[in-house]
Amino acid sequence: MNPREEKVSIITEESTANDEDAEVGRREKSSKVQRQQRKKQPPRADSEEMVTGKAQPGQEEPEMHLLSMPARRGPRSLPPIPSMSRTGFAEFSMRERLREKLQAARSKAESALLQEIPTPRPRRLRSPSEKELETEFGPEPCKESQATSHRNDSQSYSRVKFHDAVQKIKSKPQAPPGFPSAEEAYNFFTFSFDPEPEEPTVKARAKNRDGTHQEEEGEEESPAGGMNKMVLNVIARAGTPQKDEEELLGSQDAKDFLLGLDPAPDEFVVVRPAEYEGTHTWLEKEKELLFFPSRRAVPTWKKLPENVQPRFLEDEGLYTGARPEVARAQQNVVENRLLRQEPERKWFGDDGRILALPSPIKPFSSRPRPLAQEPSAQAGLETHYKKAVKYVHRTQHVVGSADPPGSFQLDIDISGLIFTHHPCFSREHVLAAKLAQLYDQYLARHQRSKAKFLTDKLQALRNAVQTGLYPEKPHQSLDATQKTIKEYKSEIRETRKLRDAEQEKDRTLLKTIVKVWKEMKSLREFQRFTNTPLKLVLRKEKVDQKADEEAYEAEIQAEISELMEEHTEEYEQRLGEYRASYQQWKAWKKAQKAKKKKKKQAEEHPEGEAEEELYPGEEPVKPIPPELLDHAVLEQQARERAAHSRRRPGEPVLLPELSLTGSVTPDDQCPRAEVLRREDVKRRSVYLKVLFNSKEVSRTVSRQLGADFCVHFGQIFNLQIFNWPESLTLQVYETVGHSSTTLLAEVFLPIPETTTVTRRAPVEEVEFSSSQHVTLDHEGVGSGVPFSFEADGSNQLILMTSGRVSHSVAWATGDNGTPLIPPPSQQSLGFRSALKRADAISSIGTSGLTDMKKLAKWAAESKLDPNDPNNAPLMQLISIATSGESYVPDFFRLEQLQQEFNFVTSEELNRSKRFRLLCLRSQEVPEFRNYKQIPAYDREILEKVFQDYEKRLRDKSVIETKDHIDTHRAIVAKYLQQVRESVVNRFLIAKHHFLLSDLVVEEEVPNMSSEGSGILGLSLFKLAEQKRPLRPRRKGRKKVTAQNLSDGDIKLLVNICRAYDIPVRKPPASKSQQPARSSRTFSDRHAASPGAHSPPHSPDTPLSQVSVRPFVEVSFQRTICHTTTAEGPNPSWNEELEFPFRAPNGDYSTASLQSVKDDVFINIFDEVLHDILEDDRERGSGIHTRIERHWLGCVKIPFSTIYSQARIDGTFKINTPPVLLGYSKERNVLLERGLDSVRSLSEGSYLTLFITIEPQLVPGESVREKFDSQEDEKLLQATEKFQAECALKFPTRQCLTTVTDISGKTVFVTRYLKPLNPPEELLNVYPNNPQATAELVARYVSLIPFLPDTVSFAGICDLWSTSDQFLDLLAGDEEEHAVLLCDYFLFLGKKAWLVMGNAIPEGPTAYVLTWEQNHYLIWNPCSGHFYAQFDTFCPLKSVSCLIGPDNIWFNIQQYDSPLRINFDVTKPKLWKSFFSRSLPYPGLSSVQPEELIYQRTDKAAAAELQDRIEKMLKEKIMDWRPRHLTRWNRHCTSTLRHFLPLLERSQGEDVEDEHRAELQKQLGDYRFSGFPLHMPYSEVKPLIEAVYSTGVHNTDVPNVEFALAVYIHPYPKNVLSVWIYVASLIRNR
Amino acid sequence: MAEAHVIGQIIGATGFSESSLFCKWGIHTGAAWKLLSGVREGQTQVDTPQVGDMAYWCHPIDLHFATKGLQGWPRLHLQVWSQDSFGRCQLAGYGFCHVPSSPGTHQLDCPTWRPLGSWREQLARAFVGGGPQLLHADTIYSGADRYRLHTAAGGTVRLELGLLLRHFDRYGVEC
Repeated sequence: MNPREEKVSIITEESTANDEDAEVGRREKSSKVQRQQRKKQPPRADSEEMVTGKAQPGQEEPEMHLLSMPARRGPRSLPPIPSMSRTGFAEFSMRERLREKLQAARSKAESALLQEIPTPRPRRLRSPSEKELETEFGPEPCKESQATSHRNDSQSYSRVKFHDAVQKIKSKPQAPPGFPSAEEAYNFFTFSFDPEPEEPTVKARAKNRDGTHQEEEGEEESPAGGMNKMVLNVIARAGTPQKDEEELLGSQDAKDFLLGLDPAPDEFVVVRPAEYEGTHTWLEKEKELLFFPSRRAVPTWKKLPENVQPRFLEDEGLYTGARPEVARAQQNVVENRLLRQEPERKWFGDDGRILALPSPIKPFSSRPRPLAQEPSAQAGLETHYKKAVKYVHRTQHVVGSADPPGSFQLDIDISGLIFTHHPCFSREHVLAAKLAQLYDQYLARHQRSKAKFLTDKLQALRNAVQTGLYPEKPHQSLDATQKTIKEYKSEIRETRKLRDAEQEKDRTLLKTIVKVWKEMKSLREFQRFTNTPLKLVLRKEKVDQKADEEAYEAEIQAEISELMEEHTEEYEQRLGEYRASYQQWKAWKKAQKAKKKKKKQAEEHPEGEAEEELYPGEEPVKPIPPELLDHAVLEQQARERAAHSRRRPGEPVLLPELSLTGSVTPDDQCPRAEVLRREDVKRRSVYLKVLFNSKEVSRTVSRQLGADFCVHFGQIFNLQIFNWPESLTLQVYETVGHSSTTLLAEVFLPIPETTTVTRRAPVEEVEFSSSQHVTLDHEGVGSGVPFSFEADGSNQLILMTSGRVSHSVAWATGDNGTPLIPPPSQQSLGFRSALKRADAISSIGTSGLTDMKKLAKWAAESKLDPNDPNNAPLMQLISIATSGESYVPDFFRLEQLQQEFNFVTSEELNRSKRFRLLCLRSQEVPEFRNYKQIPAYDREILEKVFQDYEKRLRDKSVIETKDHIDTHRAIVAKYLQQVRESVVNRFLIAKHHFLLSDLVVEEEVPNMSSEGSGILGLSLFKLAEQKRPLRPRRKGRKKVTAQNLSDGDIKLLVNICRAYDIPVRKPPASKSQQPARSSRTFSDRHAASPGAHSPPHSPDTPLSQVSVRPFVEVSFQRTICHTTTAEGPNPSWNEELEFPFRAPNGDYSTASLQSVKDDVFINIFDEVLHDILEDDRERGSGIHTRIERHWLGCVKIPFSTIYSQARIDGTFKINTPPVLLGYSKERNVLLERGLDSVRSLSEGSYLTLFITIEPQLVPGESVREKFDSQEDEKLLQATEKFQAECALKFPTRQCLTTVTDISGKTVFVTRYLKPLNPPEELLNVYPNNPQATAELVARYVSLIPFLPDTVSFAGICDLWSTSDQFLDLLAGDEEEHAVLLCDYFLFLGKKAWLVMGNAIPEGPTAYVLTWEQNHYLIWNPCSGHFYAQFDTFCPLKSVSCLIGPDNIWFNIQQYDSPLRINFDVTKPKLWKSFFSRSLPYPGLSSVQPEELIYQRTDKAAAAELQDRIEKMLKEKIMDWRPRHLTRWNRHCTSTLRHFLPLLERSQGEDVEDEHRAELQKQLGDYRFSGFPLHMPYSEVKPLIEAVYSTGVHNTDVPNVEFALAVYIHPYPKNVLSVWIYVASLIRNR
Repeated sequence: MAEAHVIGQIIGATGFSESSLFCKWGIHTGAAWKLLSGVREGQTQVDTPQVGDMAYWCHPIDLHFATKGLQGWPRLHLQVWSQDSFGRCQLAGYGFCHVPSSPGTHQLDCPTWRPLGSWREQLARAFVGGGPQLLHADTIYSGADRYRLHTAAGGTVRLELGLLLRHFDRYGVEC
């Protein structure tokens, strides 16, 4: 119930109260009836419950109507309450009658129905009441009127009353117009339709009731008929009183009936037309009710309080922000409305506009708009049709293979060239150029119009000060206002100064232009012709003199007042200062006086003096009071300044305009000199060269120089770029006639930003100038030479050739719109996020964004508003950058909430030792690869687990100088490490590429037919075979896969069988031996013929004492075992030694075992018994001997060889030192010279060994990887075919055709062989002895350290490096050595081949075969030794193929031992060649370099290294003897040091005797045991190891002395030969 | 610092119209998860069922994660491919499922779908093989608006995953 309705109801009540008594009584009665009615309601609900089934449909219907009615007639519905009373009358009458009729029938039910909740009733009642009211106030009066009943009468009566009351209210004071209140509206309606008669309303009411309750049928149907029907109904139902009554009451029908049950139905029914309200009336009404705010603008004064000027905050420099866009008219409407509605103006700001917050709408959307094309809109979901393709396993394992360089394109557009000075310029041209330049400057200034900007700013500032001084509202604290005003004032001062300067500049520029133009005019007049079409017009713009003067005066006044103020301020300040200083001065004076006084006293009290000294020594000057400046003086100053820099008032504004409309005098009217000049100009032509990265890439066409000295090219050069552009240069060339061209100047163009692409690139002009001196014999002024405009030659000018090139450089865009820009060399994304403003990027370029200074400058220049929130990030950035605190987060956090939910921080997660260990284990980091179990808790993991690993990580970056004493090797070692890592990574990837055979073992079906491999056939035969127990067969051992092994499972078995030719002791007496051997020449050695072994040579020493008592000591992984001592130079031990084997970290995987670097050291010692009895008398009673062991030699076998070979069986040459003092291998008696010659030729001691691993391990297989290759496909196919054929015939013989180079590509092997030059020095040593040279070269090659690929690359694959790589790396395995040696031999003119075969102990290896005059020599490239073909001790045991520079020959002979084969490759029956007639040699180019370049090794570095090694070894020896004192014999050391170079020169041969003699001479009374060791230098560790293995330090003779000398002989290319001489000396007694 | 072990296998796939199926799988986790050991992705062998239509792979999955948060719980994405008689491979379905979050063994069925493509592509697929594939495979598990895709249902991949959780209770995650 809205308030309006309430009021109406009150009014009604009032009216009734005021009425007569009768009326009162009626009302009372009616209300009683109503009450009764309410009471009557309950039974319905009750009965409903009883008769639910029937009653429900009926009840639902009225509900629907009730709901629908107000909705339909809503606008006109009026409150129910006043109607309530009235409805009372209407219903009363009807119900009264009804009751009378039904009284009899319902007597019984009545009592039960009386008690019920009346709630549903009012709702029910509302609907009729609404209708009634509506009809009552209906706009259209009813024409039909019928007889009125007394009830109607009474109703109309009450209505009259009501109207009266309403009229009374109407006279009450009104609310302000334009805002119709409820009463107003009500009055309006009621009043205007007063004359409406009452009867029709009642009728209408009845009719409506019918209409609504009988589903709108009442209108057509005759109401009476409807009524009658109902009456009949009721009567019929009355027969069954109880039930019918309930039904009637429960259903709406019943109510209809009750309502319609009227004795005179016609009275209630009236026919009316549709309601209609005229537009005119509506408008009338609206006019009264509504207020239309005007659309016209509201004057500002209305919006502001009286006498207040609008204040514009923006002009005062405050940030206001952009107001939201609202249409002007709309704003006006709102303003008008607000003014009308809320006169207190709180909605208006200081500037008279409606208050508004800055527009909250961002100028761009933060979510990028979906692109126009449909496919890209769903880029994330794009599908792509792919053909069904075969799966190809790709192995892209090229080390350092980069992406193919993309094609990038740079577009250089050269549009033209203008000379601002040229030698051919006439004087007029010079002036014209000057004028043009000035005019350009003018235009630029004009466009910027800085003076105007500053003037405006000044104005705004002044306004701000004005408003600030006299604010209408003191909303700021006085303090702040003062402060801002002060700031304003200082800014005003600044601005004024700037403005004055600008204005002055403008003015001088204008003056200069005019001056130049005048000069030009006079020149033209003087020379009587014109050369240039330039014409200057000065346009005058009239100004309003008076206004101008006023403005001028006002400006000056303002300035003066400001100046005055400033001065006053300054004066005040100075005055204040003056006062202060005056006070001070006064005080000082006083003090001075006091002091004087004191001084007198001080004579008596000297202790006061100290105090006086504290007083400042200097004497303050008496201050001068400041002067106040006169107003007149100030005015004078201001006026002067204004006159100087400003246009005088009333003076017209001058606007210069330069045009090219002038006419040039034709040639025939010019003097001769000028004609000459013009011809000269015509002869000249210009072109440009484009240089990219200082390489000429293209040039423009040559264009003639025009009379205006402009050249138009208009050419675009598209540069396809592969390198990152570094410089871009244009060279300007000038051609005179047909003579030579001269380079005028170079123009450097900037490389465009990556954001600049072709279409967007602006055309820029770059100036250039040349320092050329040109003097011409015609009118041309020349260049670089002085000339003058004056006749007398004064005022000389020197101009240089200069000009401008207009061009544009940009990156091209590809077909699909992608710019072809190379990726920027350094990413600088740090600050991008903060910068959203595109204009910043366009103005200073993308790279400028990273340059803080540039950015700050730009921000200052473009006057960014620091208060604008849009600029906040930029401002912050700049402030950070300029203040130096540089914390700019360079990250952008996704999922920023994640941190909140984290259990722990990531630091903590990373700190977890357990996780770290798990990760490292799963990454197969060597240190942790074999951790079986990792503790479950962090606390159980010790920190030291990581120590090794961390140390290694640290060391990776630091070059360890301890192990690698010289830097080159350290670098190489590091490089090798890197190569190794990359190869290992490749290998790890490759390991996951399995072939079918890797996963599936397919047993071949036994083949009956083939004799060799037929398992079935053979085994069948075996069954039938006789058992022969006396002929034992070697049973194949079961191979063990390495995975499930643990420490102690594997043993290394070393079986030492026997040795040959052990050096024998030399009795110290036999000093002089015949030097027979030294005379033996090379030719003797290889002339040996094959012969049988001689029986063990028994020494025939005259004294029949044991010549040598050798024993063998084997050490492996620091486990040492030794055999028993045998006797004689050819001992036989036949002992098996057993060593436990521990894999690193307990990792028994193949890869790990392959990379075991341990060696098996087999040392041979001589056991010497020394009698140490000091007293001969005790000899009878005791034996005092000391066992000494003298090292004789060693054999070193790497474990990796044993592992890959599974067993090693053979006779090895013992590596004996070249000089073994006290021992000799010489046979004293040369009885069996013939037989002995074989052995003496090979000149060494030999040891027969058998080494194996128990149980047998499966050797790792090298990866069969198919690397990509650059070889011809045909060739590759041929190699496969060749290999397959060879493998079919001789499966055990290795056939090598292609190898893998260091970058992982397959290369045909012959490409490695090519004559290569050995170092010059080596060739020069023996110029006439080719054999000696060859030996020297072989020695050089052998000095390059050996590093097997299996160790460096963990058995992955055999990589062949080219010789230059090999020499750079200074490490390689047999192949590299062999290739280098072979190449050297080829260079030396020998016939040389690479021999692929098996050797002991290396296994499959490469040797070099050379053809000397009549025999073959086999060279071991790693040791430098060579063997004749028929040498029994040649380590090469089998030959499978030979490789020459242009062919490969595979051995198809029955035997493969070098002793038994023929090396003549021309015989196709013996050697199968790769290139034959069917496949001729295609002439493959070599992968080797053209020439090897050798740097001389630094001798000084070598000497330094030598000292360091010596020092280190000495320390080591002392360390190894912790319990003894180690003395060094200096004398001996120096002797040894002299001796070592000698050894190097002779390569360790045939110096023994001389050496011995010398030693003997020098150290006569010492017993000396020691030997020189020789080895290639790789690092320090092997040296130490070698010294250790000699066991020299293992002596505990009390007075032993040591000597140690190191000599390093440097060979070219940093190849170092290291000699170490260790000796122990015992003084003889 | 909680840890989770995912141990299980991709048992096989059923309901695909193609035979000779293999499966590429991968596990995707949020930034909070760190793989301690195991392989994140892999590919099974090609299985051609002789009996029935279920292709069995029994491909092991064994992953050990450490996590500092629950976000980005591991999810498994699968691509089922089929190989035809010429040895050519084509896509048969994409699938995705979360690794279960309660410890224990779980049998998972992961239904798959594949993009349908235009009628031309469908025709091409029917006759010459191949078919539309997602350009960005991360769509399989990312919640991009996929409503533009027209897809056809593939078969179901059956997985058996065992989950072991450790220390989750320490951070208030009950499981």
